Amino acid sequence: MNDNQITGRAENLVKDFGDFRAVNQVSFTLHKGEIFGFLGPNGSGKTTTIRMMLGLLAPTQGRVEILGTEMDGQSSSILPRIGYMSQRFSLYNDLTVLQNLNYYGQVYGLDSIKRKLQVQEALAISGLSGSEHIQTKDLSGGWRQRLALSAAILHQPEVLFLDEPTAGVDPVSRRSFWDLLYTLVARGISVFITTHYMDEAEHCHRLAFIQRGKIIAQGSLKEIKQTMMPGQVLEIDTDQAGKVIRILRKAYQNGNIDYKDLELHGSLVHVITPQVQSLSRHIKKLLKADKITLNSMSVVDPTLEDVFIACMRDNVPEVHNE
Amino acid sequence: MSFRHLWAVTRKEIQHIFRDRATFILVLITPTVVLLLMTYTLAVNIEHVPLAVLDYDQSPTSRAFIQRITAGEDLDLYSQVDSIAEIEDMLIQGQVKAAVIISPGFSRDLLSLQGIDLQVIIDGTEPESGGFAVEHIGWRAEAFANEILADQFQIQGIPLESLQPIDLRVQAWFNPGLKPIIDLVPGLISIVLGFPALTVALTLAREHEHSTMEQLLVSPIKRTDLLLGKIVPYILVGLLNVMLIPIFAILWFRVPFQGNFLVFIALSAIFLFAELSMGMVIGVFMKSQSAALAMSFLVVMFPGFFLTGIFFPITAMPEIARLESLFLPGTHYAIITRGVFLTGIGLETLWPNAVMLLIIGTAFILISALFFKKRLA
Repeated sequence: MNDNQITGRAENLVKDFGDFRAVNQVSFTLHKGEIFGFLGPNGSGKTTTIRMMLGLLAPTQGRVEILGTEMDGQSSSILPRIGYMSQRFSLYNDLTVLQNLNYYGQVYGLDSIKRKLQVQEALAISGLSGSEHIQTKDLSGGWRQRLALSAAILHQPEVLFLDEPTAGVDPVSRRSFWDLLYTLVARGISVFITTHYMDEAEHCHRLAFIQRGKIIAQGSLKEIKQTMMPGQVLEIDTDQAGKVIRILRKAYQNGNIDYKDLELHGSLVHVITPQVQSLSRHIKKLLKADKITLNSMSVVDPTLEDVFIACMRDNVPEVHNE
Repeated sequence: MSFRHLWAVTRKEIQHIFRDRATFILVLITPTVVLLLMTYTLAVNIEHVPLAVLDYDQSPTSRAFIQRITAGEDLDLYSQVDSIAEIEDMLIQGQVKAAVIISPGFSRDLLSLQGIDLQVIIDGTEPESGGFAVEHIGWRAEAFANEILADQFQIQGIPLESLQPIDLRVQAWFNPGLKPIIDLVPGLISIVLGFPALTVALTLAREHEHSTMEQLLVSPIKRTDLLLGKIVPYILVGLLNVMLIPIFAILWFRVPFQGNFLVFIALSAIFLFAELSMGMVIGVFMKSQSAALAMSFLVVMFPGFFLTGIFFPITAMPEIARLESLFLPGTHYAIITRGVFLTGIGLETLWPNAVMLLIIGTAFILISALFFKKRLA
């Protein structure tokens, strides 16, 4: 069994809701021991894709295969090997932590010995030991998500689907949620996760950018950064970042300089361009003319956000206001 | 079918019932409270209806008869009159609600075993008390006639047993006190036990609203296990009601319980199964709790009132309503409760109703399983 074993496959998935095409020709593969991130803005088709993967929605076109089984709504034999955590909190608020876990354990057909064992382990890894008898509604958001994840993996699934599991959760809780995910992946399960957090996407082994139902970039973080960037990132550090942006925009409009993208990153300015050398010379001149002190200017590694926004910009012609 | 799956759902639903105070009250207390309210609202205990009597016969027998019909709390003799015109006056003035006219040959006809003519005039603007008067005068007349005849038989040396055939209609009323409450309560039981059905319709919608349904749909649980697992706890709760309500009916309303309690419990369980399956069909189609609630009232509660023969006789209904009533669990259960409470009949008479309830319940469960897709859209 090699680590690159394919555990899931989507082929040319299309989903139409009436005239609206929510998902358009989406294809990707999931691999064993890997976190596959599905990154896209709200309404880009992430949840629809995940529901088709699970057989909850029938695709208009295309096919889904998980662990070698076609997901066509009749594929109940494969369900015990799949885990799912839906976007909305999916546990029973009026039941206790333990009652929820026991219920999902039974629903997945675990016998009582195995269930006790799994529930104990779930409590331990999610850090909820000692809180078994708390009513779920009294848990904070981060703890609920961890409980929901523990419930989704009680039956030790081989493939795990997570739909925006950390939406609305504070950064510290998100961090520990991801630590939990790494523990699971280390055991060899595949994780498919949707998110719109850039920092989370950076944690994925492989990524797909989805926009308006279409995958616009796919690959490992490195591949995406290399192939999807229309140039290099020039980072400008000054004391007057806002003014620099105005100057550069004006110069761009007058045709004096050329770049692909211009973004404010905190107090830093990121300029994306294929011709770093000539542009940096131009910028130095421009800033000197305006008496702006340049602390430093250098080529830096693009962040995922740089790539993501560049990709989205490239697809602008398709965008019309909603 | 997997008992582990079924039990998982059943156990969870029981936990819900005990956790959620509103549901707990709805399923456990409501039936008894509603029974109490409805009985007092709907039972029309009309008493002391004033009567005018026009006695053309003027015999000892007719005088005894007049005394007899006005002896109880229900009918009062307002006045003995001499002409129809006087009756008309009194009815118009509202002094009497009904009038009895005894024909000249009353005692002769009665003693010679001919049919007797008895004319009753009622105030049609007050059909309740009028109808009540007619009914009660009828019962009294019958009882009176039977007594007279029994005396006659004895005088003529005819054995009393041969009186039985004439006695038939009196036997049909198992309510010697003539109190409508007693007749009403067993029928109402079948309505108030519809509340668990309402709750079961809501539980599926609740899973949809809280998106736990999505989680269940990707689990290996079978449709029938899920649906049955949700019904079983409410059958158990319903049975608690079934035990609570008769105690209440017997001790509070003094309704007699003539039948076998175990038979009653068993038949009630079958009824609950049928009624809850009906609620489940609603739950399968309605994706929100409010829609499920509205639909339950439309499909379970209202037909329960109007089509199950509790208030309006089924025989008087149009063909289509009669057909529909046949498929309502309440129709069969009303027959069962009345039979078990008031007449003490058992399975030997009620088995067709029990079979029908089983058929209805199974059909509804199959329908819900058929339409409950393991997909979202």
